[in-house]
Amino acid sequence: MIPLSTRSKEAIKTGLAMTIAYGIALSMDWDKPYWAGFAVAFTSLATVGQSFNKAALRMLGTLVTTVVALIFIALFAQDRWLFMLFLSVYVGFCTYMMAGKKHRYFWHVCGFVCVIICMDAGPNSIKAFEIAILRAQETGLGILVYSLVSILLWPISSRADFEAAACKLASTQKQLYRSYLDLMSGEGNAGEAQALRAQEVQEQTRFGQLLDAAETDTYEIWELRRQWGRYRSQAAELTETMERWRESFAEVKALDLSRLLPNLIPFGAELDERLAQIGRLLANQPPERQPVAMDLALDKAEARALFHFHKAALAVTWSRLQRLEVLTRSLFDSLSDIKGFGQLVTEVDTAPPPRGGLVPDPDRLAGAVRIILILWLAFLALIYIDDMPGGAGFVSMATAFGMAMAAMPQVSVSLLFLPAAISVLFGGLVHIFVMPQLSSFIGLGLLIFGVTFAICYFFAAPRQALGRALGLAMFVTLASISNVQTYSFLKIANTALMFALLFLILAITARAPFYLRPERVFLRLLGRFFRSCEYLISTMRWDPQRAVKRLDRWREAFHVREVSTLPRKLGAWAPSIDKKALSGTSPQQVQAVVTSLQGLTYRMQELLEERGNPQAQFLVQELQEDVRAWRLRVQEIFQRLSEHPAAGERETFRTKLDGTLYHLEERIKGALDKAPDGLISERDGENFYRLLGAYRGVSEALVNYAGSTDVIDWTQWEEARF
Amino acid sequence: MPHEFAIGGVYMPPLLIAAILGTIAAVVTARLLNRYRLSKYFFYPPLVFLALMIIYTVLIGTLIIPV
Repeated sequence: MIPLSTRSKEAIKTGLAMTIAYGIALSMDWDKPYWAGFAVAFTSLATVGQSFNKAALRMLGTLVTTVVALIFIALFAQDRWLFMLFLSVYVGFCTYMMAGKKHRYFWHVCGFVCVIICMDAGPNSIKAFEIAILRAQETGLGILVYSLVSILLWPISSRADFEAAACKLASTQKQLYRSYLDLMSGEGNAGEAQALRAQEVQEQTRFGQLLDAAETDTYEIWELRRQWGRYRSQAAELTETMERWRESFAEVKALDLSRLLPNLIPFGAELDERLAQIGRLLANQPPERQPVAMDLALDKAEARALFHFHKAALAVTWSRLQRLEVLTRSLFDSLSDIKGFGQLVTEVDTAPPPRGGLVPDPDRLAGAVRIILILWLAFLALIYIDDMPGGAGFVSMATAFGMAMAAMPQVSVSLLFLPAAISVLFGGLVHIFVMPQLSSFIGLGLLIFGVTFAICYFFAAPRQALGRALGLAMFVTLASISNVQTYSFLKIANTALMFALLFLILAITARAPFYLRPERVFLRLLGRFFRSCEYLISTMRWDPQRAVKRLDRWREAFHVREVSTLPRKLGAWAPSIDKKALSGTSPQQVQAVVTSLQGLTYRMQELLEERGNPQAQFLVQELQEDVRAWRLRVQEIFQRLSEHPAAGERETFRTKLDGTLYHLEERIKGALDKAPDGLISERDGENFYRLLGAYRGVSEALVNYAGSTDVIDWTQWEEARF
Repeated sequence: MPHEFAIGGVYMPPLLIAAILGTIAAVVTARLLNRYRLSKYFFYPPLVFLALMIIYTVLIGTLIIPV
């Protein structure tokens, strides 16, 4: 027997499922059998679990939106403008939800299937019901057939991939920890750590995706889904804590950590050993040893001799390492529980979720506005242009493509043009030259299988997913297989023209109302980031005892969310920036800007967290004016940066901020000398130094940002271009 | 005298051909303007691109392919 590659097996499975789905739909004499074909094409993924998840979301989305579509038709059958208004707002809402974290595909299906049903049915209520039911049953057929084929024929469970991904993530986290530990002690390679960090982010995403898939297709994982979920959030927190820890290295560089933290070496080795044991547990081996509870000792006599800002930096690093200790222990315990080597863990030891869950996201809102505009342009074209190519299908197709583009605004419309043109040409050739030669389902079945196999085989790589989806969708659309088969060149020409018009609408909406050129978006996001930082710094003036208004709380939650999410968004836009057009700007330089902003985010979050801790009243009164001066200076810098991202040079920032901090250092010294004995408790001192460390951290992060922007020619970024 | 274009027995209206050529000419012009950093002198390039497309289409439709 010829051994087959995984790629061939997957292509055979999809081809077979597509052929069977068509065969059943045609034998039942159902109208539009290609809907079953679409369901197969879009739910076939690498493993059974991933396919099941997507299929479930598609089915559920279809059922929900069927009800919504029928309600719209029932309510607004007599008024097309009102009908369109509600439909477009609904699709906008689905697009907004689709850009969230959960059930993205469900919302995508909810949006475009509603438009398909509404447009196909028109105002005819009887036809509407039939169309809605037909769509639901054919989607169900496609999903059922693919599910059965993928279970019975070479089933690929997600478990092996998931376990491998978990091991790889744990191993990278261990290497990253080791690398950061070396960097802290002045050794190590920053470039290597950066590469490990990028690798870890990718592995974390993959781990999350495979966990979802494995929960669906592997009973053992599903049974322990809560424990795995806890492990996932603890692993994510470990990553974030390590990043925050790394941010403090620059400030402790000058300190002799081996004297200040006497048990740093055994402490570091213990954490390293715990991560090694986590690796063993993930490989299903019993742990060689249990974690030893360990406190990181701080030599107070040595620390007393330090400058106040050095004490503050030390306090921040110490607290980060202590947090790492807690987290590695929790990770070990969670995994011991999962693998059956330890006790049952019920307590969740992770940070509370961020505040303000109902805060709108401007980028998601922009995506919703874009899809509403696309829908209206397509609808107006359908009404006012006679014999619009594609007819009502044009509006449905515009919605499906528009929603996909709204979810990935970084992708240029021009990138879709070539795959779409090739797909239309290919589908057209099959429709005109091959299909008329067929006279039975055997021939047709072989054709469906052959074409599906070829597309899935040649576009098997994950980065080719767009080409695969477009190829299958175009083949299914253009072949228009039905029991009463007709062949027409006009259909192919109309479809080609429909796509040309569709891309025109997508191109228009990529320029208005929001201009989506990557470097302009990058500048816009930078402006928003600094505006949010400015607002958050301005809230530092609030008295902690003061009752905060609901609106202020909401605004603060909005800006906190902006500051925490914008560096990630900037990171997503950075690779799309045209390096050829912006000569002199390398991808590494742009990445350095993003990294420095991420550092600033951590520092801002730290400052906001520390602000909530109680402080000694005496110190607050003594230093109020000096802290205020620092706050106003930083606020002014943020305000200038929000108007122009390069409004400041590293040296200027350094001089300004160091001057203010030096003055503050002197004032702290004076205030502490004045303080009567026993007035400032140990706890007060600790809180004070951590707050001071957070202030210093924001200043350092700002200087770091200014350093990363000095090398970029921002004038070119701001120039208008086609 | 306007006349349709026959490509492999398929008849195409002259306006379609003029529009396709006009779009191609506008794309080439926009690329050249970008390359020599002349785009910065326009207030809103997307609108200029649209204007170029229309101008080229009208010129081609008047002078080269009568529509």
